[in-house]
Amino acid sequence: MDRNVLTKWLKQPQKMGNKYSLWAIYFCTGCGIIEVPPVITSRWDAERFGVIPVATPRQANLFLITGYVSLKTLKAIIRTYELMPEPKYTVGFGSCPINGGMYWDSYNTIKHLDKYIPIDGWIAGCMPRPEAIFIAVTHLWTLIDKDMANGYKKYREKYPYYRTNQERALGKLAWPPQFEKGEENE
Amino acid sequence: MSIAAYILSPLIGLVVGIFFMGLFRVMTARIHWRYGPPLTQPVIDIIKLFLQKSVSHGVVFELGLLLSLAGSVVTLFFVPIGNICPLNVAGGLLVVLYLMLIAPMGIALSGGSGANPNISIGVSRKMLLALSYEVPFLLIVLTLMFHYRTISLVNLVQLQRASSWGIIALPLAGISYFLILPAMLGIRPFEIAEAAQEIASGLKVEYSGKFLALYYIEHAFRRFIVIALFVNLFLGGAGEPFTFLLKMLIVFILGVFINAVFPRLRIEQAIRFNWTWPTIIALAGLVIAYIWG
Repeated sequence: MDRNVLTKWLKQPQKMGNKYSLWAIYFCTGCGIIEVPPVITSRWDAERFGVIPVATPRQANLFLITGYVSLKTLKAIIRTYELMPEPKYTVGFGSCPINGGMYWDSYNTIKHLDKYIPIDGWIAGCMPRPEAIFIAVTHLWTLIDKDMANGYKKYREKYPYYRTNQERALGKLAWPPQFEKGEENE
Repeated sequence: MSIAAYILSPLIGLVVGIFFMGLFRVMTARIHWRYGPPLTQPVIDIIKLFLQKSVSHGVVFELGLLLSLAGSVVTLFFVPIGNICPLNVAGGLLVVLYLMLIAPMGIALSGGSGANPNISIGVSRKMLLALSYEVPFLLIVLTLMFHYRTISLVNLVQLQRASSWGIIALPLAGISYFLILPAMLGIRPFEIAEAAQEIASGLKVEYSGKFLALYYIEHAFRRFIVIALFVNLFLGGAGEPFTFLLKMLIVFILGVFINAVFPRLRIEQAIRFNWTWPTIIALAGLVIAYIWG
Protein backbone atom coordinates (compact mmCIF):
# COMPACT_ATOMS: atom_id res chain seq x y z
CA MET A 1 0.00 0.00 0.00
CA ASP A 2 1.52 3.33 -1.03
CA ARG A 3 -1.05 5.54 0.64
CA ASN A 4 1.51 7.55 2.58
CA VAL A 5 4.01 8.12 -0.24
CA LEU A 6 3.83 11.86 -0.74
CA THR A 7 5.72 11.98 -4.05
CA LYS A 8 3.13 9.76 -5.71
CA TRP A 9 0.40 12.05 -4.42
CA LEU A 10 2.10 15.05 -5.97
CA LYS A 11 2.70 13.22 -9.25
CA GLN A 12 -0.72 11.65 -9.85
CA PRO A 13 -3.26 12.98 -7.35
CA GLN A 14 -6.28 11.75 -9.28
CA LYS A 15 -5.07 8.17 -9.51
CA MET A 16 -4.09 8.06 -5.86
CA GLY A 17 -7.35 9.69 -4.81
CA ASN A 18 -9.36 7.15 -6.76
CA LYS A 19 -7.34 4.31 -5.32
CA TYR A 20 -7.66 5.16 -1.66
CA SER A 21 -11.12 6.62 -1.61
CA LEU A 22 -13.36 4.03 -3.23
CA TRP A 23 -16.93 4.79 -2.29
CA ALA A 24 -19.15 1.81 -2.93
CA ILE A 25 -22.81 2.29 -3.59
CA TYR A 26 -25.40 0.38 -1.60
CA PHE A 27 -26.93 -1.73 -4.30
CA CYS A 28 -28.34 -5.11 -3.46
CA THR A 29 -28.82 -7.67 -6.16
CA GLY A 30 -29.38 -11.24 -5.14
CA CYS A 31 -27.84 -13.01 -2.19
CA GLY A 32 -24.32 -11.58 -2.33
CA ILE A 33 -25.28 -8.47 -0.41
CA ILE A 34 -25.36 -10.57 2.76
CA GLU A 35 -21.56 -10.59 2.64
CA VAL A 36 -21.32 -6.81 2.51
CA PRO A 37 -22.56 -5.79 6.01
CA PRO A 38 -19.75 -7.75 7.76
CA VAL A 39 -17.29 -6.14 5.37
CA ILE A 40 -18.29 -2.57 6.19
CA THR A 41 -18.84 -3.08 9.93
CA SER A 42 -16.60 -4.03 12.82
CA ARG A 43 -15.66 -7.56 11.81
CA TRP A 44 -13.79 -6.78 8.60
CA ASP A 45 -13.87 -2.97 8.57
CA ALA A 46 -13.53 -1.88 4.95
CA GLU A 47 -13.08 1.74 6.06
CA ARG A 48 -9.38 1.18 6.79
CA PHE A 49 -8.89 0.85 3.02
CA GLY A 50 -10.96 3.95 2.37
CA VAL A 51 -13.93 1.92 1.16
CA ILE A 52 -17.18 3.26 2.58
CA PRO A 53 -20.75 2.68 1.47
CA VAL A 54 -22.68 5.68 0.16
CA ALA A 55 -26.38 5.88 -0.43
CA THR A 56 -26.51 7.55 -3.81
CA PRO A 57 -24.90 6.84 -7.22
CA ARG A 58 -23.91 10.48 -7.59
CA GLN A 59 -21.23 10.06 -4.94
CA ALA A 60 -20.10 6.52 -5.63
CA ASN A 61 -17.18 5.37 -7.75
CA LEU A 62 -17.19 1.67 -6.94
CA PHE A 63 -20.09 -0.52 -8.02
CA LEU A 64 -20.29 -4.00 -6.51
CA ILE A 65 -22.82 -6.18 -8.30
CA THR A 66 -23.54 -8.82 -5.71
CA GLY A 67 -25.31 -11.85 -7.05
CA TYR A 68 -27.67 -12.84 -9.83
CA VAL A 69 -29.04 -10.11 -12.05
CA SER A 70 -32.65 -10.37 -13.07
CA LEU A 71 -33.94 -8.34 -16.00
CA LYS A 72 -35.65 -5.80 -13.76
CA THR A 73 -32.46 -5.38 -11.73
CA LEU A 74 -30.45 -4.98 -14.92
CA LYS A 75 -32.52 -1.92 -15.74
CA ALA A 76 -31.65 -0.37 -12.38
CA ILE A 77 -28.01 -1.42 -12.69
CA ILE A 78 -27.55 0.28 -16.05
CA ARG A 79 -29.29 3.37 -14.82
CA THR A 80 -27.20 3.51 -11.65
CA TYR A 81 -24.01 2.94 -13.61
CA GLU A 82 -24.81 5.83 -15.92
CA LEU A 83 -25.55 8.14 -12.98
CA MET A 84 -22.18 7.53 -11.33
CA PRO A 85 -19.53 10.20 -11.94
CA GLU A 86 -16.41 9.19 -13.83
CA PRO A 87 -13.94 7.63 -13.12
CA LYS A 88 -16.00 4.66 -11.95
CA TYR A 89 -15.14 1.03 -11.33
CA THR A 90 -17.35 -2.03 -11.34
CA VAL A 91 -16.75 -5.40 -9.74
CA GLY A 92 -18.90 -8.45 -10.34
CA PHE A 93 -19.28 -10.40 -7.10
CA GLY A 94 -20.14 -14.11 -7.12
CA SER A 95 -20.51 -16.52 -9.98
CA CYS A 96 -23.98 -15.46 -11.14
CA PRO A 97 -22.94 -12.18 -12.82
CA ILE A 98 -19.99 -13.99 -14.45
CA ASN A 99 -21.84 -16.71 -16.31
CA GLY A 100 -25.24 -17.16 -14.78
CA GLY A 101 -24.05 -19.51 -12.04
CA MET A 102 -26.80 -21.74 -10.74
CA TYR A 103 -29.36 -19.67 -12.66
CA TRP A 104 -27.73 -20.54 -15.98
CA ASP A 105 -31.03 -21.78 -17.46
CA SER A 106 -33.35 -19.24 -15.87
CA TYR A 107 -35.61 -17.35 -18.25
CA ASN A 108 -35.45 -14.16 -16.24
CA THR A 109 -31.80 -13.60 -15.34
CA ILE A 110 -28.98 -12.51 -17.58
CA LYS A 111 -25.93 -14.68 -17.92
CA HIS A 112 -23.03 -12.41 -18.78
CA LEU A 113 -23.15 -9.05 -17.09
CA ASP A 114 -20.18 -7.70 -19.04
CA LYS A 115 -22.30 -7.66 -22.18
CA TYR A 116 -24.43 -4.88 -20.68
CA ILE A 117 -22.00 -2.75 -18.67
CA PRO A 118 -18.20 -2.95 -18.58
CA ILE A 119 -16.79 -4.84 -15.59
CA ASP A 120 -13.31 -4.11 -14.27
CA GLY A 121 -12.91 -7.20 -12.14
CA TRP A 122 -14.61 -10.36 -11.01
CA ILE A 123 -14.79 -12.18 -7.71
CA ALA A 124 -15.58 -15.82 -8.39
CA GLY A 125 -17.32 -18.08 -5.89
CA CYS A 126 -20.73 -18.88 -4.50
CA MET A 127 -20.57 -17.12 -2.12
CA PRO A 128 -17.14 -15.49 -1.96
CA ARG A 129 -15.94 -14.82 1.58
CA PRO A 130 -15.83 -11.18 2.76
CA GLU A 131 -12.03 -11.30 2.50
CA ALA A 132 -12.47 -11.71 -1.26
CA ILE A 133 -13.79 -8.16 -1.40
CA PHE A 134 -10.51 -6.90 0.05
CA ILE A 135 -8.55 -8.97 -2.46
CA ALA A 136 -10.69 -7.43 -5.17
CA VAL A 137 -10.01 -3.95 -3.81
CA THR A 138 -6.25 -4.51 -3.74
CA HIS A 139 -6.37 -5.92 -7.28
CA LEU A 140 -8.37 -2.88 -8.31
CA TRP A 141 -5.60 -0.68 -6.90
CA THR A 142 -3.09 -2.45 -9.11
CA LEU A 143 -5.38 -2.08 -12.10
CA ILE A 144 -5.87 1.64 -11.44
CA ASP A 145 -2.10 2.01 -11.11
CA LYS A 146 -1.53 0.40 -14.49
CA ASP A 147 -4.44 2.28 -16.14
CA MET A 148 -6.15 -1.05 -16.78
CA ALA A 149 -9.36 -0.28 -14.89
CA ASN A 150 -10.72 1.64 -17.84
CA GLY A 151 -14.22 0.22 -18.04
CA TYR A 152 -15.80 3.67 -18.07
CA LYS A 153 -13.70 4.63 -21.10
CA LYS A 154 -14.65 1.39 -22.82
CA TYR A 155 -18.30 2.20 -22.17
CA ARG A 156 -17.91 5.46 -24.09
CA GLU A 157 -15.93 3.91 -26.93
CA LYS A 158 -18.00 0.79 -27.46
CA TYR A 159 -21.37 2.20 -26.48
CA PRO A 160 -23.21 0.90 -29.57
CA TYR A 161 -22.25 -2.65 -28.59
CA TYR A 162 -23.46 -2.28 -25.02
CA ARG A 163 -26.58 -0.41 -26.09
CA THR A 164 -27.52 -3.10 -28.61
CA ASN A 165 -27.19 -5.77 -25.93
CA GLN A 166 -29.16 -3.68 -23.42
CA GLU A 167 -31.98 -3.16 -25.88
CA ARG A 168 -31.99 -6.82 -26.85
CA ALA A 169 -32.48 -7.79 -23.20
CA LEU A 170 -34.84 -5.04 -22.10
CA GLY A 171 -36.67 -3.92 -25.20
CA LYS A 172 -36.70 -0.14 -25.31
CA LEU A 173 -34.83 1.63 -22.52
CA ALA A 174 -37.42 3.32 -20.34
CA TRP A 175 -35.19 6.25 -19.31
CA PRO A 176 -33.09 8.77 -21.23
CA PRO A 177 -29.82 6.89 -21.86
CA GLN A 178 -26.51 8.58 -21.36
CA PHE A 179 -25.35 8.63 -24.97
CA GLU A 180 -26.81 8.69 -28.44
CA LYS A 181 -26.89 5.25 -29.99
CA GLY A 182 -24.63 4.43 -32.90
CA GLU A 183 -22.40 7.46 -32.66
CA GLU A 184 -18.81 7.67 -31.59
CA ASN A 185 -18.69 9.35 -28.20
CA GLU A 186 -15.79 11.13 -26.65
CA MET B 1 -2.15 41.86 11.96
CA SER B 2 -5.61 42.79 10.75
CA ILE B 3 -5.09 41.70 7.12
CA ALA B 4 -3.22 38.57 8.16
CA ALA B 5 -6.11 37.72 10.49
CA TYR B 6 -8.54 37.70 7.56
CA ILE B 7 -6.47 34.96 5.94
CA LEU B 8 -5.44 33.16 9.10
CA SER B 9 -8.91 32.80 10.58
CA PRO B 10 -10.53 30.83 7.69
CA LEU B 11 -7.30 28.89 7.24
CA ILE B 12 -7.34 27.70 10.85
CA GLY B 13 -11.05 26.95 10.47
CA LEU B 14 -10.45 24.86 7.35
CA VAL B 15 -7.42 22.92 8.62
CA VAL B 16 -8.84 22.25 12.06
CA GLY B 17 -12.29 21.47 10.66
CA ILE B 18 -10.88 18.85 8.28
CA PHE B 19 -8.61 17.49 11.02
CA PHE B 20 -11.73 17.13 13.19
CA MET B 21 -13.46 15.23 10.39
CA GLY B 22 -10.58 12.77 10.26
CA LEU B 23 -10.41 12.47 14.04
CA PHE B 24 -14.17 11.94 14.08
CA ARG B 25 -13.88 8.92 11.80
CA VAL B 26 -10.85 7.44 13.54
CA MET B 27 -12.33 7.80 17.02
CA THR B 28 -15.72 6.46 15.99
CA ALA B 29 -13.94 3.47 14.46
CA ARG B 30 -11.97 2.81 17.64
CA ILE B 31 -15.12 3.03 19.76
CA HIS B 32 -16.74 0.51 17.40
CA TRP B 33 -13.67 -1.78 17.86
CA ARG B 34 -12.56 -1.24 14.30
CA TYR B 35 -9.13 -0.28 13.03
CA GLY B 36 -10.53 2.71 11.19
CA PRO B 37 -9.31 4.88 8.32
CA PRO B 38 -6.11 6.95 8.48
CA LEU B 39 -6.37 10.43 9.93
CA THR B 40 -5.83 11.89 6.45
CA GLN B 41 -8.84 10.11 4.93
CA PRO B 42 -11.00 13.28 4.58
CA VAL B 43 -8.12 14.95 2.70
CA ILE B 44 -7.91 11.95 0.35
CA ASP B 45 -11.67 12.06 -0.14
CA ILE B 46 -11.67 15.78 -0.87
CA ILE B 47 -8.78 15.47 -3.35
CA LYS B 48 -10.61 12.66 -5.10
CA LEU B 49 -13.88 14.59 -5.17
CA PHE B 50 -12.29 17.70 -6.63
CA LEU B 51 -10.75 15.68 -9.47
CA GLN B 52 -13.91 13.72 -10.21
CA LYS B 53 -16.49 14.59 -12.82
CA SER B 54 -19.51 16.27 -11.31
CA VAL B 55 -23.09 17.00 -12.25
CA SER B 56 -24.48 20.48 -11.75
CA HIS B 57 -28.20 21.18 -11.45
CA GLY B 58 -28.23 24.78 -12.56
CA VAL B 59 -27.06 28.18 -11.41
CA VAL B 60 -28.94 28.15 -8.09
CA PHE B 61 -27.36 24.82 -7.23
CA GLU B 62 -23.87 26.29 -7.55
CA LEU B 63 -24.58 29.74 -6.13
CA GLY B 64 -26.46 28.38 -3.11
CA LEU B 65 -23.44 26.27 -2.20
CA LEU B 66 -21.16 29.27 -2.60
CA LEU B 67 -23.56 31.35 -0.51
CA SER B 68 -23.42 28.88 2.35
CA LEU B 69 -19.63 28.66 2.11
CA ALA B 70 -19.36 32.45 2.13
CA GLY B 71 -21.79 32.63 5.06
CA SER B 72 -19.62 30.25 7.05
CA VAL B 73 -16.41 32.12 6.27
CA VAL B 74 -17.97 35.47 7.17
CA THR B 75 -19.31 34.03 10.43
CA LEU B 76 -15.80 32.83 11.19
CA PHE B 77 -14.51 36.42 10.89
CA PHE B 78 -16.62 37.41 13.88
CA VAL B 79 -15.67 34.46 16.10
CA PRO B 80 -12.46 35.04 18.06
CA ILE B 81 -9.96 32.18 17.82
CA GLY B 82 -7.75 32.98 20.79
CA ASN B 83 -6.57 36.50 19.99
CA ILE B 84 -7.28 36.20 16.25
CA CYS B 85 -10.52 38.03 15.52
CA PRO B 86 -10.57 39.90 12.18
CA LEU B 87 -13.89 41.68 12.74
CA ASN B 88 -13.90 42.80 16.34
CA VAL B 89 -17.21 44.69 16.40
CA ALA B 90 -19.35 45.87 19.28
CA GLY B 91 -22.36 43.67 18.51
CA GLY B 92 -20.46 40.54 17.49
CA LEU B 93 -22.69 38.05 19.26
CA LEU B 94 -25.87 39.37 17.60
CA VAL B 95 -24.21 39.40 14.18
CA VAL B 96 -23.09 35.78 14.63
CA LEU B 97 -26.66 34.80 15.56
CA TYR B 98 -27.94 36.13 12.24
CA LEU B 99 -25.01 35.01 10.09
CA MET B 100 -25.18 31.43 11.34
CA LEU B 101 -28.52 31.07 9.56
CA ILE B 102 -27.05 31.85 6.13
CA ALA B 103 -25.18 28.55 5.77
CA PRO B 104 -28.19 26.21 6.19
CA MET B 105 -30.28 28.55 4.03
CA GLY B 106 -27.72 28.39 1.23
CA ILE B 107 -27.54 24.61 1.46
CA ALA B 108 -31.34 24.40 1.40
CA LEU B 109 -31.49 26.69 -1.64
CA SER B 110 -28.79 24.73 -3.43
CA GLY B 111 -30.13 21.30 -2.55
CA GLY B 112 -33.68 22.32 -3.39
CA SER B 113 -32.77 22.94 -7.02
CA GLY B 114 -31.66 19.30 -7.28
CA ALA B 115 -35.36 18.36 -7.53
CA ASN B 116 -34.96 15.02 -5.78
CA PRO B 117 -37.74 14.01 -3.35
CA ASN B 118 -35.15 12.94 -0.80
CA ILE B 119 -33.72 16.46 -0.83
CA SER B 120 -37.04 18.10 -0.03
CA ILE B 121 -37.44 15.74 2.94
CA GLY B 122 -33.88 16.52 4.00
CA VAL B 123 -34.39 20.28 3.67
CA SER B 124 -37.60 20.22 5.67
CA ARG B 125 -35.91 18.14 8.37
CA LYS B 126 -32.90 20.44 8.51
CA MET B 127 -35.08 23.52 8.79
CA LEU B 128 -37.29 21.96 11.47
CA LEU B 129 -34.20 20.92 13.40
CA ALA B 130 -32.79 24.45 13.10
CA LEU B 131 -36.12 25.82 14.33
CA SER B 132 -36.03 23.47 17.30
CA TYR B 133 -32.51 24.27 18.49
CA GLU B 134 -32.75 28.01 17.82
CA VAL B 135 -35.21 28.46 20.70
CA PRO B 136 -32.91 27.22 23.51
CA PHE B 137 -29.91 28.76 21.72
CA LEU B 138 -31.47 32.23 21.76
CA LEU B 139 -32.39 31.82 25.44
CA ILE B 140 -28.80 30.82 26.24
CA VAL B 141 -27.37 33.79 24.36
CA LEU B 142 -29.85 36.10 26.09
CA THR B 143 -28.77 34.73 29.48
CA LEU B 144 -25.12 35.39 28.66
CA MET B 145 -25.82 38.88 27.35
CA PHE B 146 -27.81 39.67 30.47
CA HIS B 147 -25.27 38.25 32.91
CA TYR B 148 -22.19 39.88 31.38
CA ARG B 149 -24.03 43.02 30.15
CA THR B 150 -22.38 42.95 26.75
CA ILE B 151 -23.21 41.92 23.19
CA SER B 152 -19.64 41.77 21.99
CA LEU B 153 -18.04 38.32 21.71
CA VAL B 154 -14.54 39.65 22.36
CA ASN B 155 -15.72 41.54 25.44
CA LEU B 156 -17.52 38.43 26.64
CA VAL B 157 -14.32 36.42 26.43
CA GLN B 158 -12.35 39.11 28.24
CA LEU B 159 -14.95 39.37 31.01
CA GLN B 160 -14.90 35.58 31.47
CA ARG B 161 -11.12 35.56 31.64
CA ALA B 162 -11.25 38.37 34.21
CA SER B 163 -13.83 36.74 36.50
CA SER B 164 -14.96 33.13 35.98
CA TRP B 165 -15.87 30.94 33.03
CA GLY B 166 -19.43 31.01 31.73
CA ILE B 167 -19.97 27.35 32.55
CA ILE B 168 -19.26 28.11 36.25
CA ALA B 169 -21.14 31.40 36.41
CA LEU B 170 -24.12 30.10 34.40
CA PRO B 171 -24.09 26.28 34.71
CA LEU B 172 -27.67 25.81 33.52
CA ALA B 173 -27.10 27.71 30.30
CA GLY B 174 -23.90 25.74 29.72
CA ILE B 175 -25.66 22.41 30.20
CA SER B 176 -28.43 23.51 27.86
CA TYR B 177 -25.91 24.52 25.17
CA PHE B 178 -24.16 21.16 25.55
CA LEU B 179 -27.50 19.36 25.08
CA ILE B 180 -28.21 21.14 21.79
CA LEU B 181 -24.61 20.85 20.61
CA PRO B 182 -25.18 17.52 18.75
CA ALA B 183 -28.17 19.05 16.97
CA MET B 184 -26.15 22.09 15.93
CA LEU B 185 -23.24 19.92 14.77
CA GLY B 186 -25.60 17.53 12.97
CA ILE B 187 -24.07 14.44 14.59
CA ARG B 188 -25.60 11.10 15.40
CA PRO B 189 -28.62 11.51 17.68
CA PHE B 190 -29.63 14.45 15.47
CA GLU B 191 -28.17 13.28 12.15
CA ILE B 192 -31.72 13.45 10.83
CA ALA B 193 -31.26 15.65 7.77
CA GLU B 194 -28.52 13.45 6.33
CA ALA B 195 -29.83 10.03 7.31
CA ALA B 196 -28.18 7.70 4.81
CA GLN B 197 -30.36 4.70 5.58
CA GLU B 198 -33.73 6.49 5.59
CA ILE B 199 -33.62 9.16 2.88
CA ALA B 200 -30.45 8.28 0.94
CA SER B 201 -28.33 10.87 2.78
CA GLY B 202 -31.05 13.51 2.31
CA LEU B 203 -29.65 16.94 1.55
CA LYS B 204 -26.46 15.83 -0.16
CA VAL B 205 -28.06 13.19 -2.37
CA GLU B 206 -27.54 15.15 -5.60
CA TYR B 207 -24.08 16.48 -4.79
CA SER B 208 -21.22 14.89 -6.64
CA GLY B 209 -17.59 15.60 -7.35
CA LYS B 210 -16.45 19.11 -6.54
CA PHE B 211 -19.85 20.17 -5.21
CA LEU B 212 -19.70 17.41 -2.61
CA ALA B 213 -16.16 18.48 -1.76
CA LEU B 214 -17.37 22.05 -1.19
CA TYR B 215 -20.26 20.68 0.85
CA TYR B 216 -17.80 18.81 3.08
CA ILE B 217 -15.63 21.90 3.46
CA GLU B 218 -18.69 23.93 4.44
CA HIS B 219 -19.55 21.21 6.94
CA ALA B 220 -16.05 21.39 8.40
CA PHE B 221 -16.39 25.18 8.79
CA ARG B 222 -19.78 24.81 10.43
CA ARG B 223 -18.52 22.29 12.97
CA PHE B 224 -15.60 24.56 13.75
CA ILE B 225 -17.88 27.57 14.27
CA VAL B 226 -20.32 25.79 16.58
CA ILE B 227 -17.59 24.36 18.79
CA ALA B 228 -15.62 27.62 18.76
CA LEU B 229 -18.75 29.44 19.87
CA PHE B 230 -19.18 27.01 22.77
CA VAL B 231 -15.59 27.57 23.86
CA ASN B 232 -15.98 31.34 23.55
CA LEU B 233 -19.29 31.53 25.36
CA PHE B 234 -18.72 29.05 28.18
CA LEU B 235 -15.10 27.94 28.44
CA GLY B 236 -13.64 31.42 28.61
CA GLY B 237 -12.01 31.50 25.19
CA ALA B 238 -8.24 31.78 25.36
CA GLY B 239 -5.41 34.26 25.06
CA GLU B 240 -3.68 32.47 22.21
CA PRO B 241 -4.96 30.11 19.47
CA PHE B 242 -3.23 27.00 20.81
CA THR B 243 -5.07 26.84 24.15
CA PHE B 244 -8.26 27.70 22.32
CA LEU B 245 -7.87 24.78 19.91
CA LEU B 246 -7.06 22.47 22.83
CA LYS B 247 -10.34 23.45 24.53
CA MET B 248 -12.16 22.91 21.24
CA LEU B 249 -10.61 19.45 20.96
CA ILE B 250 -11.97 18.47 24.37
CA VAL B 251 -15.51 19.61 23.50
CA PHE B 252 -15.27 17.87 20.13
CA ILE B 253 -14.15 14.58 21.67
CA LEU B 254 -17.17 14.66 24.00
CA GLY B 255 -19.31 15.17 20.90
CA VAL B 256 -17.67 12.16 19.22
CA PHE B 257 -18.48 9.97 22.22
CA ILE B 258 -22.13 11.01 22.02
CA ASN B 259 -22.14 10.35 18.27
CA ALA B 260 -20.60 6.91 18.56
CA VAL B 261 -23.00 5.40 21.08
CA PHE B 262 -26.42 6.91 20.43
CA PRO B 263 -28.90 5.84 17.74
CA ARG B 264 -30.60 8.36 15.51
CA LEU B 265 -33.80 10.04 16.71
CA ARG B 266 -36.84 10.64 14.55
CA ILE B 267 -37.55 14.24 13.64
CA GLU B 268 -40.51 14.68 15.98
CA GLN B 269 -38.56 13.09 18.84
CA ALA B 270 -35.71 15.49 18.17
CA ILE B 271 -38.03 18.51 18.20
CA ARG B 272 -39.76 17.29 21.35
CA PHE B 273 -36.39 16.86 23.03
CA ASN B 274 -35.07 20.26 21.97
CA TRP B 275 -38.22 22.05 22.97
CA THR B 276 -38.43 20.39 26.40
CA TRP B 277 -35.19 19.73 28.26
CA PRO B 278 -32.73 22.24 26.77
CA THR B 279 -35.45 24.89 26.62
CA ILE B 280 -36.59 24.32 30.22
CA ILE B 281 -33.01 24.32 31.51
CA ALA B 282 -32.13 27.43 29.51
CA LEU B 283 -35.29 29.20 30.71
CA ALA B 284 -34.51 28.29 34.33
CA GLY B 285 -30.98 29.57 33.80
CA LEU B 286 -32.32 32.84 32.40
CA VAL B 287 -34.71 33.31 35.36
CA ILE B 288 -31.95 32.57 37.88
CA ALA B 289 -29.57 34.93 36.11
CA TYR B 290 -32.30 37.59 36.14
CA ILE B 291 -33.06 37.17 39.87
CA TRP B 292 -29.44 36.95 41.03
CA GLY B 293 -27.97 39.24 38.42
